[in-house]
Amino acid sequence: MDAKRETPPAGRSRVLRLVVNGDLHEVLVTPRHTLLDVIRGELGLKGTKEGCTTGSCGVCTVHNDRGEAILSCLTPALEWDGESITTIEGLESGGRLAPIQQAFVEHHAVQCGYCTPGVIMSAQAILNATPEPAEADINDGLAGVICRCTGHIKVKEAVRNAWRYAGGAGPAPGGSHD
Amino acid sequence: MTDGRAPPPGPGLGVIGRRQPRLDGFDKVSGRSVFADDIELPGMLHGRILRSPHARARIVRLDTTKARALPGVKAVVTNGDAPDLVFSERQPLLAKGFVHYVGEEVAAVAATDPFIADEALRLIEVEYEPLPAVTSLRRALQPDAPLVHEWAAGNVAVTHDRDFGDPDAAFAESDLVITDEFRSPVQHNTLAEFHVAIADFSNPDKLHVWTPTQSAPMYQMALAKAFGLESSQVRIVYGNVGGAFTGRGRAKPHHFVAALLSRVAARPVKIKATADEEFIMFRGSGETLYRFRTGVTRDGRIRALELDVTFDAGAHAEWAMILWLPALYPNWLYRFEGLRYRGRFVYTNTVPKGSNHGGIMGRMSAGWMQHLTRVAEELGLDPAEFHRRNAIEAGDHARDGSDFGSCGLKECIDRVVERSGWQVKYGRLPPYRGIGIGIGAQASGGKNASNDTSAAMVKIADDGRVTLFTGIPDLGQGSWTVMAMIAAEVLGIEPADVNVVGGDSDIVPFDWGAFSQRGTFMTGNAVKVAAEDARAQLASVAAAALGVQAEDLVFAGGRVHIRGEAPDAPGRSLSFREAVAKAFHGGEGRYVMGRGFFNSPRQSGSMAFSFGAQVAEVEVDPESGAVRVLKVTVAHDLGRALNPLAVEGQLDGQVFSGLSQVLYEECRMDAGQVLNPSRLEYKLPRTWELPEVDYTLVETIDPYGPFGAKEVGEGPIVVTMSAVAAAVANALGEPLPQMPMTPWRLLRVIRHHRRRRARGAPGAAPR
Repeated sequence: MDAKRETPPAGRSRVLRLVVNGDLHEVLVTPRHTLLDVIRGELGLKGTKEGCTTGSCGVCTVHNDRGEAILSCLTPALEWDGESITTIEGLESGGRLAPIQQAFVEHHAVQCGYCTPGVIMSAQAILNATPEPAEADINDGLAGVICRCTGHIKVKEAVRNAWRYAGGAGPAPGGSHD
Repeated sequence: MTDGRAPPPGPGLGVIGRRQPRLDGFDKVSGRSVFADDIELPGMLHGRILRSPHARARIVRLDTTKARALPGVKAVVTNGDAPDLVFSERQPLLAKGFVHYVGEEVAAVAATDPFIADEALRLIEVEYEPLPAVTSLRRALQPDAPLVHEWAAGNVAVTHDRDFGDPDAAFAESDLVITDEFRSPVQHNTLAEFHVAIADFSNPDKLHVWTPTQSAPMYQMALAKAFGLESSQVRIVYGNVGGAFTGRGRAKPHHFVAALLSRVAARPVKIKATADEEFIMFRGSGETLYRFRTGVTRDGRIRALELDVTFDAGAHAEWAMILWLPALYPNWLYRFEGLRYRGRFVYTNTVPKGSNHGGIMGRMSAGWMQHLTRVAEELGLDPAEFHRRNAIEAGDHARDGSDFGSCGLKECIDRVVERSGWQVKYGRLPPYRGIGIGIGAQASGGKNASNDTSAAMVKIADDGRVTLFTGIPDLGQGSWTVMAMIAAEVLGIEPADVNVVGGDSDIVPFDWGAFSQRGTFMTGNAVKVAAEDARAQLASVAAAALGVQAEDLVFAGGRVHIRGEAPDAPGRSLSFREAVAKAFHGGEGRYVMGRGFFNSPRQSGSMAFSFGAQVAEVEVDPESGAVRVLKVTVAHDLGRALNPLAVEGQLDGQVFSGLSQVLYEECRMDAGQVLNPSRLEYKLPRTWELPEVDYTLVETIDPYGPFGAKEVGEGPIVVTMSAVAAAVANALGEPLPQMPMTPWRLLRVIRHHRRRRARGAPGAAPR
């Protein structure tokens, strides 16, 4: 979606009030804008990627206010009026990566990186629901995101080890392995 | 999971061999990495392409009047607007009078908004007269098949025939000759980042294109030729690339269409594939038919090999250059007396096609290794022993001219046999459990498709920080990190002190790119040469300051010191930063810049080959036909693991993609249409379908590789595909003539077995 559009698209526009990563935004959107359109286009938060736009790849995953994973590409933006969401940009605090993000770096759970924001948001949603997830919890929680590079092997390793990176200094870079 | 890990770094290697997390990790996990789709240029328009719904048709009428009149539309193009613009020889960029495949580009629009562009597409009126079409390889080969192009008799586009040695004599001298056939399907590269290009051709003297690529020079050359520019007038920006898997080697029509629309509108134009378009415009694997024939002696020596491969090229032979590879490949694996290769590219009325992850060798090996396993078993030999007995060795001179400066093939076989428990499992598993072994080789670059040059530059700021300029794209494999490690190793500093600048053809020195497994070997050598050039300049300054010869200096641990003395000996050593400062602030005022390029002294072929062996264990559910891969045991001779952490990532991904291609992936086609055009319907493995993976990295320290490294980016997937296919065949007791080995295909075999068993037929039970 181009924020600098010259001709408004068809459909009646309405003001959407949406809290994203703690900041309130008011944007004019039409019924055919998805939540992803607003995040990437209107708000310019490009960390959330656009993939299939049909709910089959998961790279657009963000969190609702309960910290659950939702596919922003399938969600009409106007249904989220008055809601609060978190995107990949909202995971870190003050330039410090969240433990799950640090775990992804240290465990090489990132390759091309295109799906990574969606995979990390899915992984964080698992940890939000289950701080000590079992293998089945991890498998289920990541099932909606397709990562073509990692085979999910080091991704799962990072999720299992995310707790190591909580609360300050983690292990030496690249040191941990299971 | 990773026992048998790489040994610790060798003597004098401070950085190489270290488990180095990727240097762009922070940006990638935090959402800061910018991909082409994230770029918004001032005044940028959105382009859409109108594509043919027919496999073959005449365009009776094409009227764009209404589309041009829609407010917000800034450009509409058809062949009439650019009649001389060709995508490749005999292939107009936009359809001229006829369409030859579903998805062919007929017209395109650029508008201020993607919704308006969509609306404009709907307003273009096209009337087609459908014509008889050839949409399958088998149909194209029939004598009465319609011709895709009138100039191609029998629909044969290109052939490549090649013999090594005397195959006829070698077959005649064989004690046993066995023949098998195999078929592989249409497959999609399923890139995480969809096809996307932003072109800015507002200034007719410079075309800027932001797009993911494996090879900026190939994109530059193709676009320059089409638009009458010099290559340097085309700038390709490819900062982050969302996967490639052979799918981004050549510029595709959307790159050209975006440039054309931008030239017409004099504004930047972005074209991004929509979800279903991604499965229409792709150029993944075409359907391929294989016939394998092997002649052996009674004691299990391969005498003669024959490979006959027929590729579905689609409507244009864009990828004909891949034809030569299967002719060479057996030379890198086995000793034999004669090899006959017959390859042909055949036209069909389908989208032009090339390869999926693993290239041609992956899909061919899924059949060929089943065939060779059968050859071994017919001889009463263990297939692992059969591969080993015929395997090439270091020092061999192959019939295609290849020499093997390092070769760990036999060691790889031994390691997977040992670590998988092959000897207690092979032939002794319960029904519907299978174990299979495959072997493979991969060239590290080579002058088969290009002159294969890579170049690199380093500059060193007076604060001691190094900037490395490289043209190698980082597709996710971690090239930028490993190039920083190579430069850091040479200069004796930390990888984090090296800033890698890449992904912009206006800035970086020449590099053919990341394909044919040339990155680590060719670019790695170029980076090493450039860093050594910079080090030599610093060494002469430091030597003068310390009153010794430059050859006596050692660069390590962030210091420059005298060999044999303490690295921090007072007055007898310098920090790296001090050495740089002495050069810059000394009388000479030297600003240190190193440059280097690497090219093979061989005039054809490759300087180095990696080798691998894998054993896969599978379980087939006889009720559903579903296959579960239980374990894959990998041994790969990669020369040296420069960054073992990234090497494991490469192996993980290739095991995943390899089993996926053998068991799941297939574009189901009908009349030139993909029937399953989404990632829900085009099956890829999910998190719970990954097997246990056991790695052994075999380090043979290649004499020509940078610090002895070869490749690990594509060799392993070829072997995974071989091993998984052989394991499924083992579980069922017979080779599978087709991949993917889907449940319904396996059920057919299982039911056939049961019927035979019910009749009391012998040999009907699976092993």
